[in-house]
Amino acid sequence: MSDDEGGGDDDQDADTDHEAEDFPGIDTGSDSEVGSEESEEDEEDEVSEEEEEDESEEDEDPSEEGDSGSDSAIHIFPRVKSTISNITGRPKRVYPEIEPDYESDSSIEDDPNRIGNIPLHWYDDLPHIGYDINGKRILRPAKGDELDKFLETMEDPASWTSAFDKNTQMNKPLTAEELEIIHRLQLGENPDAAYDPYEPTVEWFTGKGKEEIMPLSAAPEPKRRWLPSKWEKQKIMKIVRAIRQGRIVGSKPKTAQNTPQFYAIWNEPASNQPPPLPAPKLPPPTHAESYNPPEEYLPTEAERKEWENAEPEDRERDFIPQKYAALRLVPGYEQFIKDRFSRQLDLYLAPRVQRKKLNIDPNSLLPKLPSPSSLRPFPTYQSLKVIHPGSRVRCVSVSPDGAWVVSGDETGVVYLWEVIVGREVKRWVLDSKIGAIEWCPRTDVSYFVVSVEDKLLFIVPPNLPSAILSSTQNALTPAPLPPPTTSPIKWASTSRVEDDIMLTITLPAISGLSKQITWHRRGDYLASVCAYLLLSLVLCLVYRPPSPASNESQVWIHQVSRRHSQAPFKKIKGTIQLVLFHPIKPHFFVATQQYVRLYDLMQQKLIKTLMPGIKWISSMDIHPSGDHVIVGGYDRKLCWFDLELSEKPYKILRYHSRAIRSLHFHPTYPLFASSSDDGSIQVFHSRVYNDLTTDPLIVPLKILRGHDVNDGLGVLQVKWANKQPWLVSAGADGKVVVWCSSS
Amino acid sequence: MATHPVVFTTKTRYVLPSQKFMIPVEWRRYQLSQLINKALSLADPIPFDFLVHGEILRTSLAQWTAEKGVGEEETLEIEYFESVLPPQRLSSLPHEDWVSSVSCSISQHFLTASYDGHVRLFDHSQNCIRDVPAHLAPVTSVALVSGPNTNDQSYIVASASHDLTARLTKISLADDAARPSQPLATLHLHTSPLTSITADSTGSTLLTASWDGNIGVWDTTIPTEDDLVPESGDRKKRRKTGGNDRPKNKAPATVLKSHTARVSKALFALNSGRYAHSCGFDSTVRHWDVEVGVCTNTITVPERPMLDLSLTNDGNMLLAASTDRTVSIFDLRGSELSSTIGTLMHPATPSCLVCPHTSTAPQVMVGSYDGVARLWDLRSMRSAIASFRVWDGMKILDVDWAGDMLCVGGEGGVDIWRISQGERISATAQT
Repeated sequence: MSDDEGGGDDDQDADTDHEAEDFPGIDTGSDSEVGSEESEEDEEDEVSEEEEEDESEEDEDPSEEGDSGSDSAIHIFPRVKSTISNITGRPKRVYPEIEPDYESDSSIEDDPNRIGNIPLHWYDDLPHIGYDINGKRILRPAKGDELDKFLETMEDPASWTSAFDKNTQMNKPLTAEELEIIHRLQLGENPDAAYDPYEPTVEWFTGKGKEEIMPLSAAPEPKRRWLPSKWEKQKIMKIVRAIRQGRIVGSKPKTAQNTPQFYAIWNEPASNQPPPLPAPKLPPPTHAESYNPPEEYLPTEAERKEWENAEPEDRERDFIPQKYAALRLVPGYEQFIKDRFSRQLDLYLAPRVQRKKLNIDPNSLLPKLPSPSSLRPFPTYQSLKVIHPGSRVRCVSVSPDGAWVVSGDETGVVYLWEVIVGREVKRWVLDSKIGAIEWCPRTDVSYFVVSVEDKLLFIVPPNLPSAILSSTQNALTPAPLPPPTTSPIKWASTSRVEDDIMLTITLPAISGLSKQITWHRRGDYLASVCAYLLLSLVLCLVYRPPSPASNESQVWIHQVSRRHSQAPFKKIKGTIQLVLFHPIKPHFFVATQQYVRLYDLMQQKLIKTLMPGIKWISSMDIHPSGDHVIVGGYDRKLCWFDLELSEKPYKILRYHSRAIRSLHFHPTYPLFASSSDDGSIQVFHSRVYNDLTTDPLIVPLKILRGHDVNDGLGVLQVKWANKQPWLVSAGADGKVVVWCSSS
Repeated sequence: MATHPVVFTTKTRYVLPSQKFMIPVEWRRYQLSQLINKALSLADPIPFDFLVHGEILRTSLAQWTAEKGVGEEETLEIEYFESVLPPQRLSSLPHEDWVSSVSCSISQHFLTASYDGHVRLFDHSQNCIRDVPAHLAPVTSVALVSGPNTNDQSYIVASASHDLTARLTKISLADDAARPSQPLATLHLHTSPLTSITADSTGSTLLTASWDGNIGVWDTTIPTEDDLVPESGDRKKRRKTGGNDRPKNKAPATVLKSHTARVSKALFALNSGRYAHSCGFDSTVRHWDVEVGVCTNTITVPERPMLDLSLTNDGNMLLAASTDRTVSIFDLRGSELSSTIGTLMHPATPSCLVCPHTSTAPQVMVGSYDGVARLWDLRSMRSAIASFRVWDGMKILDVDWAGDMLCVGGEGGVDIWRISQGERISATAQT
């Protein structure tokens, strides 16, 4: 629909409107005015109304003209026609031609009422409402009563689109353009229908072919464009002087006030800090919290009483389920404030630390060890015990065939007994404390060595078969004695055959009791370590000139077949605790207080030093394969060394609560045992693999308890019975116990 | 209350009329025993034990049926017999040293072997009537070989010792005997201490077991000449025993070699001089054909060094005590000898076993290192049916059982206990 046609329609509409307008509309505002004045001017109104009706009929024509004129006046925006330009080929707006006559000025031709811009209520008391251009009165149009107004609004379909015109004091229907403007304003759009907010850009100076190539001005460039400014130089020099004089301090750190106080909060990268924790959630309510819970949630009388008697902290829940028939019967919650308060306290005082919960099964952290029951047999129970009355049993030894045990105590008594019956078969009462006892590992002879005072006694057990007895005699007292060697050690065959002591080695008197005897595997060499009391050393230094170094040696290696003793070390650093022969190679372990040194006896040099990290080594043993050494210390540590691997321990076990006293590897079973001053013996499974890649498997198997701790001393020595998984332990409580395996 | 249909049978003289009883399932042995006492209206109440399907009832009937899955409708046949009453100590025979072996084979007498090397003979009034210094080293085992000889009431006794020999000694019980004891022969074979010596039922063959893994088989004839040239080491002993009366050296008839470790016991099969059984520290039980001298079967039980062996009185079961605190039971009836058919668990090392040869019940008396002797019935392997503490904390080293007399030897000497088993034992003994 084109705008021109719309205009025509408007004219017709105005006509029809006018025709239908039998009763002029009543303005509500005027109504109120009328209402306020009604009491005074009722009669006058009625008269004036009649007059007005007359006048309105007379004024019909001018009002019609005014209608059409007002129509055009209402068009604030000229009607625009868009056409295609013949010249540019673009759409253009064509505005209607304005006739430049007198009537074209809307400001003067518009209104029939020419009273000007004065308040109209000045005419409220008058029968007219103003004057027209000719000075004639414009009579007040007739005004219907409320019923007329109502009927008009009911009957006239256009009445709701009409508005009260103050100047003419009557309702005037709105034109279609005005309605459209109102509609657009309602929608929040631009009132101009033709306004296009997205019209295409018109490129006047940009785009292809429209670049500015000519200067805008033909004036020559001023000089100041290239000459340095004198004024600027003055200002700069002023600042420079100020800087030189120190009035301006450069690179002054920016204070908090002059740095900008705003942050691009969204642009910051995510910080490392954890996000603030959400408040802990309350648990959702359950059936018991319902106002109408099922019967089974209601407490019995006893439960209610119990709940009431309990302290608030001890109550399982802080309310009692109660049943109400309807929600409106539920009373106010008494504990509300208290609940809120405690909840606030919870939120305020709760430590907001995010606990990093690791989903690790604690069992998976444990090393995968086979179960001890799959590693049977190992000793589990105390089969029998032999008691040395009233003294500590220091040392014990099991014969190489695993049938006999000798045990020596501190009063100098040595018992020989069967390992499985425990009956003492023979005893030797020697002069003083027994330092060490060791069976000779040879199977073709049978004797054991006991160290008492500064002597080593070679004792033959009774009831030997004649073949073994004779070979033992031959080994200990060969018929042609080997040539005596130049050694300070005296070897003497004793004549006391009834005592079964066949041979005695007397060490130098200052060396004191030999506290350890160890045999080489072949049974020809044995090494003894003297206690070498510090007191005796001091005495020797004070009262005697220094004796030859060989006399002072702590370690002696004795060769039985040659009846010769020698000191392998002229001088050694530290006090020697233990020595040990390597089972296969000609190597010799020497343990001082903190280190274990491995010497090659053939080449007479140090091979390596093991550093167990123990403050005071108490015990040491070597695996039968010769590649692994265990070292125990008085500071409760047990170190396993793989000799191929490192000088540091492969594994450190700290299972004892007191000092470790003794260690022993089983000669055939993969077992070793450790004894301690806490009165317990611990049995370990120790499987050593032949391939170098697999680490030895060490499994703790069993803690054997049965020895009493006496004066802080527990189990002083443990020894395995050969061929059977049986353990013999000697304790400070005077007991020697045989531990057997059970199924 | 739920009930169970039950029929009672018995082999004792206390016979109930054959009748079906409805027994409440909650009943235990005590109630059942009361029922039988009341039904028979016995003047003195006799405790009974009950065998259900060959097992001694230790629980309530309901538990037993639930365990075995026996339906409620099924009629149970329960055999009852008199309970073993707690044994009573009769007397003790004091010894200075440990007693390693006892024997009740001589009627009205006890034969003991001690660690001081003596073999002693006691009569029932606790008098030591013979004290034979048989060995210089501890005696480990003693056995009656034959006797009594009708002429001079003498017995031949074999003893095994740590001094690597066994001896045959003739002990005369006659009061006016010129020589109360006379060493007959020394048996020389072993190179290690001996552990046991046993004779067969006829007294013609001996078996010795030793630590060196050999079993010697000997006949009991006394040679007139030394079988072996006396060694120089024996000269002293011979001089001591003196002249013509010195025991003759004797060599074994056969040596059974198969054990790889110490043999702890060797004994003949029941009523047989040909077959023998042995056990050892190599965790095996071996069966021997003695005449041929070969091992016919070997049962290996891993990691169970065995200490003693015993045959039940019917000869069907072999029991072996081992250091792992169990007594293993072997069934000899099958042609192929399988492994154990059961074990009896002990709290301490069981050191010795004896089966009563007069009882038909499969019972065994086990002495152990904690000084407690336990009587087991093989029909209920869960727990011992009777146990009594012989000594506190002293080891029992040997037990023997004859009739109702139980002889226990060990660390504390010898104790004599009476086990009254009721009428049945005596009845079977008479028949």
